[in-house]
Amino acid sequence: MSLIADEIIQFSSVLRMAYNLLAGRTYLKRKKLREKEKLVAVTLPFSDLAFAAKTIPVFPIRMHQFEINQYLTYLGSASSIFGWNNVSSFLGFIKNLGIKEISKIVDEIIEDVIEVINLKYNEMYDIGIENGISSDFCYGLKSLVGMHVSKGSNVDACLNVTIRCSAYNKYLESLKAINQGPKQIWVDIPPRNIGNAIELLTDNIANALNEFEKLTGKNVTDNDLREHFKIGNQVKRAYKNIIYDISASDFYPCNPATFSEIMALLSITFQDYNSNAIRYRDNIVSLEKEMRERIRKGIGMDVSNMPRIFVTPMFGGWEPKSHEILYELGGRALYADWELLKLLEEIPTSNHLNPAEEYARFLMNATETGIGCDNDKLTDSYLRMAKNLNADGLIFFQLFGCHSISNCYTMLREKVRRELEIPTTAITFNKIGENVEQVKTRLGAFMEMFK
Amino acid sequence: MDDLSLLSDFSQFIKEKKLEGVRIVAYLAHDNIPEELFDAADFFPLRLMFGGNDDLMDASHNFLPPSTCAFAQSCIGLFSTKPNEFQFLDKIDYFIVSNHCVSDVCVSEIISKNFNISRLNFYVPYTKNENSLKYFKLELQDLRSKLEDIIGAKISDEKLLKSINKYNQFKKSLLKINELEISGSEKLRVIQKAMLYGPEFLPELDTIIQNFKHNPPSISEISKDVLFTGCSIFINDNMVDLIEEGGGNIVFFDTWIGNHYYSQILDDETIKTDQDPLDLLVLKFENNIYGDHSVPNFLEHKIGLIEKFYQEYKEKKGKKLGVINHIIKFCDHISLMSSFLKDRLQEKGIQVLNLERDYSRANRGQLSTRIEAYLEMM
Repeated sequence: MSLIADEIIQFSSVLRMAYNLLAGRTYLKRKKLREKEKLVAVTLPFSDLAFAAKTIPVFPIRMHQFEINQYLTYLGSASSIFGWNNVSSFLGFIKNLGIKEISKIVDEIIEDVIEVINLKYNEMYDIGIENGISSDFCYGLKSLVGMHVSKGSNVDACLNVTIRCSAYNKYLESLKAINQGPKQIWVDIPPRNIGNAIELLTDNIANALNEFEKLTGKNVTDNDLREHFKIGNQVKRAYKNIIYDISASDFYPCNPATFSEIMALLSITFQDYNSNAIRYRDNIVSLEKEMRERIRKGIGMDVSNMPRIFVTPMFGGWEPKSHEILYELGGRALYADWELLKLLEEIPTSNHLNPAEEYARFLMNATETGIGCDNDKLTDSYLRMAKNLNADGLIFFQLFGCHSISNCYTMLREKVRRELEIPTTAITFNKIGENVEQVKTRLGAFMEMFK
Repeated sequence: MDDLSLLSDFSQFIKEKKLEGVRIVAYLAHDNIPEELFDAADFFPLRLMFGGNDDLMDASHNFLPPSTCAFAQSCIGLFSTKPNEFQFLDKIDYFIVSNHCVSDVCVSEIISKNFNISRLNFYVPYTKNENSLKYFKLELQDLRSKLEDIIGAKISDEKLLKSINKYNQFKKSLLKINELEISGSEKLRVIQKAMLYGPEFLPELDTIIQNFKHNPPSISEISKDVLFTGCSIFINDNMVDLIEEGGGNIVFFDTWIGNHYYSQILDDETIKTDQDPLDLLVLKFENNIYGDHSVPNFLEHKIGLIEKFYQEYKEKKGKKLGVINHIIKFCDHISLMSSFLKDRLQEKGIQVLNLERDYSRANRGQLSTRIEAYLEMM
């Protein structure tokens, strides 16, 4: 992993994001107890309404205490005095002097961030099973149940957005059985855009906002929605630029394994923007800038001879060692789940438009053409993404117990063979770290095809 | 009548329907499909309500991973292996792709695509509120218009109303099955046959019910009564036999193939009003509160129903009633809620057996042991 850490030191924005992810508990406690803000549990990137309603969205795992590397804690503390940029520059300066101990410390920090998150995910998975969810469900659901069992009572509300996955929808229903305290706020997305479905969804959104108003005692205006959507759009723009302009290009600002690591971090943190949209926007915008700056200066790595391997889906659970293994095998892993599912589309914010309706269009578009109301549509999304990334190969993580997405692999393989003519393979996944050797073998065989 | 002869007769029935020029529309057997609309369009609605076995499940693995609901796997298996007694599946003209659960979507899509059966969409909203009822009506309008395109004619309100009435009367008769003091296996056979054939079975159904009323068969005095909830027992499945062999007797089927279907009754006054017949179908959907598709109140409704039935039974019979929650392996809806259902009912003093299984033969011994142990404990 040290090869990854060596690079990340150059991206202070990544350190910031990692710190904000892991130090969430302190931040959230302050918000809830001192500032009397309302915490709202969110899953998948559906935090917009919670932000617009001036509540604090939180992906529940972040309420846990993480064992943060002590040096990252020091960096966090130092940053509050000197600012993150100065801290990062200082580290970079020391590192360039060749002080090995410092390099080692930074290596440890990044390694710890990733390890700590994965360990916590696995811990949540175990808690989920101990508390009654059948082991037959996917990694994501088991972990989510674990998160709510362990920390769900701390939130004031749960924002529940229905999607095509029936297990997920039932999990949402089960939240009130897990913790009776939090208010349950629902947004039901109609399965298809027929008739006046957009109007109905707009009304569902308005009803959800009413529930938020009851929760906070504050009005949510159109302007509140627009202001948040503007921030969200900036986040999405930067995220998309990183996906298309940088991850699909032939020159990376760092080595490909580092790059994938950053993309994985983005994928996790995008769900709740680390509970602070403006801070997150600033970080991701500066991340894009930092990357471009390095590329402009020719700092980084020529990856033109490394096959682009689109690895997906990863949001419900995947083996995080994959990108490292692929890198060692001469490839580079591209992650772009949220874009594939059309959750990085911008939401129009003109004053003459009804923002709730625009949000309804955004959700409906994701449902119809991204996530898809059937596997034909969903597999088209994979194809579109693979084409847009100019992928040379596709690796599909088939989650044990996933009945929504994993079930589409047979259809996807057929379509990839027919329309893209690139190699594809499926890797089964149950739990992080459970069968790394098997993943290695499968990826090894897969990468042989590029030699 | 055993399952083989039922299927053989049904094959003949479908053959005759086809000869009459009737189109066959099939779907996974869930409880929100508006069969009245198909009937009004002169289609025969064929619900796939057949249990599986190892061969059928194995045959689906070219299309789906083994960690898919065993019923869904078996449905694909039926199309890819076409066992002799299921030759009538060749006669299907249309397949409904619906979203009772995501496996419903996947399996229906796979069947339609790979076995060259034209597809019709019918999606159901997840919640039940004013807007979702409006959405349900949009789906009904869309389906009606697709059916009209196929038949090249309008489906008149009168005809639709007639079909709604026909199904309503049929369900009213079927509901009487709950009151009969007959064994669970006999009840189930009648329910299964009725739901397979639809209202055309009504005269026979009425006769059967009358016969049972006048000449009630004897039920073992020592059998222990249970309420059966969760996933349905489909045709060709031996679950009811396992329960009876273990000393149990199912007195109430709280499943798709059972109360979920025939409790969706509208009162005659409502049907007589001048309202849009589609609104009646919406009302029926709204009233179907025990189905497992909807969120977020499925669990409350389910617990309410079971508790009410349990208390009434205890008062009437003076003994305890068992609850078997049948979970077909990898069923999203029933499996995810099973531990909550059990905990909540047990808090109320109602003993629950969460019985999870797939359709493999190897399970039989283990299932029997679990059922026997549970019934003994009662």
